[in-house]
Amino acid sequence: MKAFASAALALLLAGLAAVLAWTVTRPVTPGRDVPALIAGALDVSGVSHPVTAVLLNFRGYDTLLELVVLLIALAGVRCLAPLPPPRGSAPVGGVLRELASLLLPVLVLVAVYLLWAGATRPGGAFQGGALLAAAGILALLAGRDRFLWRLEHRLWPLACLGVAVFLAVAAGTLAAGGVLLGLPSAHAGTLILVIEGFALLSIAVTLVALFLGTGELEDRDP
Amino acid sequence: MSDSVLLPLLVLWPLAGGLAALLAPRIVGLVLVAGTLGNLALGLFLAVTLPGGDPLAHDVGGWGAPLGIALRADGLSAILVLVTAFAAPWLALHASAAYAEPERRYFAGLFLLFLAALNGLFLAGDLFNLYVTLELLGLSAVALAALGGGPAALAASLRYLLATLTGSLAYLLGVALLYRAAGTLDLAQLAGQGTVLPGGAVAFALMVAGLLLKAAVFPLHFWLPPAHANATPPVSAALSGLAVKAPLYLVLRLWLSLYDGAWPLVAELLAALGAAGVLWCSLQAVLQARAKLLVAYSTVAQLGYLLVALALVPAAGLTAYGAFVVLLVSHVLAKAGLFLAVGNLARRARHDRIDGFERVVHHMPLSAGAIALAGVSLMGLPPSGGFSGKWLLLQAGIASGRWWLVAVVLLGGLLAAVYIFKLIEHTFGGSDRPEATALPRRMEWAALALAGSAVGLGFLGQPLLGLLGGVP
Repeated sequence: MKAFASAALALLLAGLAAVLAWTVTRPVTPGRDVPALIAGALDVSGVSHPVTAVLLNFRGYDTLLELVVLLIALAGVRCLAPLPPPRGSAPVGGVLRELASLLLPVLVLVAVYLLWAGATRPGGAFQGGALLAAAGILALLAGRDRFLWRLEHRLWPLACLGVAVFLAVAAGTLAAGGVLLGLPSAHAGTLILVIEGFALLSIAVTLVALFLGTGELEDRDP
Repeated sequence: MSDSVLLPLLVLWPLAGGLAALLAPRIVGLVLVAGTLGNLALGLFLAVTLPGGDPLAHDVGGWGAPLGIALRADGLSAILVLVTAFAAPWLALHASAAYAEPERRYFAGLFLLFLAALNGLFLAGDLFNLYVTLELLGLSAVALAALGGGPAALAASLRYLLATLTGSLAYLLGVALLYRAAGTLDLAQLAGQGTVLPGGAVAFALMVAGLLLKAAVFPLHFWLPPAHANATPPVSAALSGLAVKAPLYLVLRLWLSLYDGAWPLVAELLAALGAAGVLWCSLQAVLQARAKLLVAYSTVAQLGYLLVALALVPAAGLTAYGAFVVLLVSHVLAKAGLFLAVGNLARRARHDRIDGFERVVHHMPLSAGAIALAGVSLMGLPPSGGFSGKWLLLQAGIASGRWWLVAVVLLGGLLAAVYIFKLIEHTFGGSDRPEATALPRRMEWAALALAGSAVGLGFLGQPLLGLLGGVP
């Protein structure tokens, strides 16, 4: 029975793949040239990299909601069981410790650079935040978990900061110009950097907290 | 300041509330009250602003489509925002007594973000923005389903997560195909284009299949009964009442506006799925021994009526469209009230086996009354909203020559009567156990208010259809 179900599923997926392959090879003639539109509006977007312009300006509303998705994921994990207090982990020696002390400053520096570079080339808050989170996890693995206690005590303010700042900008633009996230082009670059800076911090904190997971869940075998 | 500012405010307000609840656990009660009542005020304002004028639109960022995102509200969006906003304060009232710390904080935060997601979805005018709101909605619903429940709730919500993610990805794949072919994501620019774009049919199949999975339409409902039945009562009410309606709303939007209700086969298929769902899941509800599972199966059955009504819109026009909306609104109210009331009974009895419920009508008259009133609407007895909806549905079915529909509606109503009376029998009959602990009265009032409004909706059919306007 199980083999039959697997075979049916495999057949279904193969059919789907074939239909998709056929669809994407058909020629299309979209009436609108979106890359050209983006290039045309880039001058007033506050940044010169098209991806950042789309993410933080043209479709900034989507990005605001994506940051909320991360926050919901964290709340969804944390509501299951409280995290046990950190137990001073055994000292880690040797290669890992040396590697961490070498890599940590570099990772933090590169994360900040990625944020800054996002305005003109590939980079931005999500990439920088992921790197900063990697630095945090590396520090945890290398036994440098003193920051954990501080993080736990300020988890929600830190995790909410990115969305809160973005929301404040959204409300501000709505109140000032009557247009949600209508960033004035003279200040758009600065506003985007501010939004991304706080978003980077919140993304990194959220990812580290998600890595820590929850406390012990009850044996779940209903 | 123009009226269109209402649209972003309806998203920003509950979003800010959700943040406040997570940040300030000490004032969670206040945040829930301000968040849900403020949202209701905005929803009412939208409903009184809309009639007579053109649909409202807000151009986010001022870029215009296809570069930017548009928010739009027509009669359908306004009604859905309003019914969500009306149900939310009652659910919050019930939750304020149902949860202790720290669950209350997480409930308040997640519930307000869930409201923001629903408002965002009902007001979105952009295919990708709709995907983002679907993700927000799905994740917040999954987190709520796991909240404060035991191992069974955790396992059920994991299954819910996998189902909802699969649905979202199928939808996203369809969106990508449409974007490739049209170079825009804007619903208004895509209106009527779906059938002529290369790959349009494949995109439609992917999007609708994903959304039907997310809406738990028969036979894709496998994840719903365990997830809704094992969650805590305010969450079950929010999920069964509100969360599953959003993907169905989106199916309606896509099919009727992007695809102009195209392909007769689609209508036949949707009607067949709906009718099969009504009959099969009503029967399943009758066979359940656990009250919450009974109510959850009833949800899948009632979703079947919505699907049948939707299928008839191209043939029967405004009558079927009105049936869809009246049935949807009355099911939101009746099901939320019923889940809260059954939750109250289960909390008093400390289990939800129907034959183990004792006679509670003396001790919990309001909850018992809520079950009866919600039952009136679910069975489709006059003067309830459920009756008005089924009446319109029958008219639409007869007008489009689908006589078999009469049999489905009658049989579905009969089966609903059987499962509702199964609940009522043990609430009004059974043995008495007066020493059981009493519940805070506000938990009962919340259930009664929602169930009562489902019946009261029967008198508000005309204003509701007036606000709805024409078929999109």
